Amino acid sequence: MLSVCILTGNTGILSIMPTVVVMDVSLSMTRPVSVEGSEEYQRKHLAAHGLTMLFEHMATNYKLEFTALVVFSSLWELMVPFTRDYNTLQEALSNMDDYDKTCLESALVGVCNIVQQEWGGAIPCQVVLVTDGCLGIGRGSLRHSLATHNQRSESNRFPLPFPFPSKLYIMCMANLEELQSTDSLECLERLIDLNNGEGQIFTIDGPLCLKNVQSMFGKLIDLAYTPFHAVLKCGHLTADVQVFPRPEPFVVDEEIDPIPKVINTDLEIVGFIDIADISSPPVLSRHLVLPIALNKEGDEVGTGITDDNEDENSANQIAGKIPNFCVLLHGSLKVEGMVAIVQLGPEWHGMLYSQADSKKKSNLMMSLFEPGPEPLPWLGKMAQLGPISDAKENPYGEDDNKSPFPLQPKNKRSYAQNVTVWIKPSGLQTDVQKILRNARKLPEKTQTFYKELNRLRKAALAFGFLDLLKGVADMLERECTLLPDTAHPDAAFQLTHAAQQLQLASTGTSEYAAYDHNITPLHTDFSGSSTERM
Amino acid sequence: MKIFSESHKTVFVVDHCPYMAESCRQHVEFDMLVKNRTQGIIPLAPISKSLWTCSVESSMEYCRIMYDIFPFKKLVNFIVSDSGAHVLNSWTQEDQNLQELMAALAAVGPPNPRADPECCSILHGLVAAVETLCKITEYQHEARTLLMENAERVGNRGRIICITNAKSDSHVRMLEDCVQETIHEHNKLAANSDHLMQIQKCELVLIHTYPVGEDSLVSDRPKKELSPVLTSEVHSVRAGRHLATKLNILVQQHFDLASTTITNIPMKPTFSVFDQEEQHANTSANYDVELLHHKDAHVDFLKSGDTHLGGSSREGPFKETITLKWCTPRTNNIELHYCTGAYRISPVDVNSRPSSCLTNFLLNDPRYKIDGSLEIPLERAKDQLEKHTRYWPMIISQTTIFNMQAVVPLASVIVKESLTEEDVLNCQKTIYNLVDMERKNDPLPISTVGTRGKGPKRDEQYRIMWNELETLVRAHINNSEKHQRVLECLMACRSKPPEEEERKKRGRKREDKEDKSEKAVKDYEQEKPWQDSERLKGILERGKEELAEAEIIKDSPDSPEPPNKKPLVEMDETPQVEKSKGPVSLLSLWSNRINTANSRKHQEFAGRLNSVNNRAELYQHLKEENGMETTENGKASRQ
Repeated sequence: MLSVCILTGNTGILSIMPTVVVMDVSLSMTRPVSVEGSEEYQRKHLAAHGLTMLFEHMATNYKLEFTALVVFSSLWELMVPFTRDYNTLQEALSNMDDYDKTCLESALVGVCNIVQQEWGGAIPCQVVLVTDGCLGIGRGSLRHSLATHNQRSESNRFPLPFPFPSKLYIMCMANLEELQSTDSLECLERLIDLNNGEGQIFTIDGPLCLKNVQSMFGKLIDLAYTPFHAVLKCGHLTADVQVFPRPEPFVVDEEIDPIPKVINTDLEIVGFIDIADISSPPVLSRHLVLPIALNKEGDEVGTGITDDNEDENSANQIAGKIPNFCVLLHGSLKVEGMVAIVQLGPEWHGMLYSQADSKKKSNLMMSLFEPGPEPLPWLGKMAQLGPISDAKENPYGEDDNKSPFPLQPKNKRSYAQNVTVWIKPSGLQTDVQKILRNARKLPEKTQTFYKELNRLRKAALAFGFLDLLKGVADMLERECTLLPDTAHPDAAFQLTHAAQQLQLASTGTSEYAAYDHNITPLHTDFSGSSTERM
Repeated sequence: MKIFSESHKTVFVVDHCPYMAESCRQHVEFDMLVKNRTQGIIPLAPISKSLWTCSVESSMEYCRIMYDIFPFKKLVNFIVSDSGAHVLNSWTQEDQNLQELMAALAAVGPPNPRADPECCSILHGLVAAVETLCKITEYQHEARTLLMENAERVGNRGRIICITNAKSDSHVRMLEDCVQETIHEHNKLAANSDHLMQIQKCELVLIHTYPVGEDSLVSDRPKKELSPVLTSEVHSVRAGRHLATKLNILVQQHFDLASTTITNIPMKPTFSVFDQEEQHANTSANYDVELLHHKDAHVDFLKSGDTHLGGSSREGPFKETITLKWCTPRTNNIELHYCTGAYRISPVDVNSRPSSCLTNFLLNDPRYKIDGSLEIPLERAKDQLEKHTRYWPMIISQTTIFNMQAVVPLASVIVKESLTEEDVLNCQKTIYNLVDMERKNDPLPISTVGTRGKGPKRDEQYRIMWNELETLVRAHINNSEKHQRVLECLMACRSKPPEEEERKKRGRKREDKEDKSEKAVKDYEQEKPWQDSERLKGILERGKEELAEAEIIKDSPDSPEPPNKKPLVEMDETPQVEKSKGPVSLLSLWSNRINTANSRKHQEFAGRLNSVNNRAELYQHLKEENGMETTENGKASRQ
């Protein structure tokens, strides 16, 4: 079974769900917020407060993730390129100047460029847009952008939907009432719609204050930045792991099964298979699998089997020496060149494998297959995969020199079954010529001659193309008359016989026109010894 | 994505009336090979296909592409219409392949030009098409059964592709009306039936085909909604290759296909799948092959903005193709690539030489299938993993037996579900061999990491080894009676005086924690601890006689347990870490080790086993009967 695989070039990536924070630094963000009995805050201070909370959360739970900070007004600037250093991000928050008006479109174009340059088009990315809901005025304002949305050419395409898998979270430093008093909310909702509905708008509940901003960012964290914890199991061996980024719920069929499927928190390994056998299968998403205990020790996760020959004194090292199944698994998969098949839910599987991040470092990764009993046709039904020892003889051979995969599909695809297509004249001509060429080499090519003859006969009968049968019969008769004196006497017999048989089939009525009937070589006194074997 | 969209069911209705026997008036030269022959031979006259032949081969091509890309869940029902309707196949998956259809078409044969045209009509076929659309497919049935009370979510939509030769626009309108009326009637019937489904949506694609050179009597009409259930479109197409091109465009529209052309494919003579004699067999050149596949395969290219669109648009605007350059794969390249999608393909020109060469290169030899047994193989696989991991040391320096070649014959078979007599014999041989090694005082690969001095004495090393081997074998004694026999042999060979065992049991404190492997072992043993020990005594007696020559292995409770002899599979038991917090006295280190070692040698008293801080709660069963939580003894419910 053939398929086109879409492979993306960017393979050596550790972080797989980067975040871009896009901060509005237009003048309107400096509007004061009245806070009872305390110093005066501006909206940008509230925004910075919320982002601080997000950065702190990520520094603790998402330390492997890359985040970039973009500020924008009528222009945009990449303040902090993608980094894991949350201190730098934090510092940048306190060093922001105030600029002119809001111009969202150019900022979103900027985000496209930054992300595509760094990650290409296949890595999912979360965009956190922080704004006050004032969408600018005149050219470059969001209203203007949306109004002209239908009049775009390919060269000035609107940046949404983002040209990479994305979520757009809009954090409004304003409450719902304020946004609804103008058409701001509507415009922002249009933005999410334009991003194919991928994203959400957050507004402040109640008065604008630090506490309510916190609760708004809390909701964002719950939605988009909650670590996914699971237990990885293999028989009696288990390990607590974080799966990162969070696996997204998946809708199998919007009509008959509209409820999104979520993966189990118990990830059970059901077996192991060679990388060569699983090939490079299509996956919904891929994730880092991080042992939770080790993660606390720093970001040296999953670097291989723990080496025991070191000094035992340091407490850190002892903690690192607690044998962890993830380490064992990762090391084994790497050494053996295999992947582990893992059950994610009912009729839903994925694979665990080692992926090199750099020359020295590699990681335990998990990829999710599409749910269903047979996500990878060349392996057959998942439930039918079993232990090698159950097979009567080792399917990989005694010397490991063969493989039971890929499985042959029940019905061969057209390209594997020698179908006959005569839509272009050349198709028909090639088939006729093949017969003729073999006819001239009779009796050596008797078998091939009849094989090709029968193929043409079957197709002609199916297509109701009886004239062709008659034509080829005439042609063979002519060939018979043109045989040189040196020709083998059997050739004439076979040609005449074949022509007769075709002639009979071309009437379309006799038993000779039955589809399953095959013209067989005429048995002559000469045919016994000289016939080629197929 | 919807499984049960219009594309789930396609009905072909092909006109088989007498006028379809007419020539399409496009000639095909088939007698091409007259060069190099004696002069004066006149090539045979070209022939031409009938309207019927053109219709059939174009619809077969439609099906070929569809089956290649959607081998499942996209179904075709083929109907031929003359004086009645001939339904050539059913919705079942077995009927869904080209060979079946070709055989059925051959049985029908070409239309009879001498039949009475008055008796023949395409209407018979259209009525049958509506009827067949109401019939439930196995996929619909399966989904309905699975969804139970939500069965109504399973949609019933379909498409009728009708190839005919119509008289006029009003004739076309009459056909549409007929379909609409028939749907109305059949939906009423279906409402009262369990085996039929009402048609929710039907797309009628009427293709009027006529001989090349004639004027069309029917005008094209884009898709139009005739009723909430029925839409209809009309295509007026000249026969011959024009009809084939039309159906090729339609199959791409209907199944969201797109085209990719792979360019610069090197074709060496060794690639050749045809006879060596074929004209070009010895030339090596680069070829292009155009493939069809689902549109999604292009999504990423289009998003990246880097489109190579519009490569070869020789066949109209729909024929946009993305061009990819062939890259000869490196051999032995077993790497995992990040693959966001794999899409089934179908070559546009399936039996052209470059296409066949490409597909034959990509197709591997047929492999064979795995026998299915009654039990679900995947469950058997899980079961095997469970057995293999009952005792699994995770650190090399924390195991002795898995570092010993001599143990391999036993360790590799003991995890099996059942043992053969030969397996048991091999296990016994392994054990005797170990006894022999011990007598000869052979060194053991016991790690000395972290110990001062030379590490444990030789006899102590053997004790560690025997303990570990016992743990391994005990983990499997409930697999079969033969496993039991291996343990019996082991216990007999590593003989210890029973009295000594008893004495030890009495005098020892036990550590609170226990490792996972022991826990697992306990699960298997708990059922018959008493019988076990009774039988053990008997075996020990026998064993003594059998091994009279073998040196009795003395267990020395006074020698310290080596420091590395930690419980082996304990990744989530934390007390180990606590130990390292502060300075530990030599005494406590030593006694801890001894306790650990000794705790392995006897069945723990149930009360102590369940104790928290060495305090066991009495009358727990009363609590349980009252339905209260009792799992507070720190044993996480991880299993």
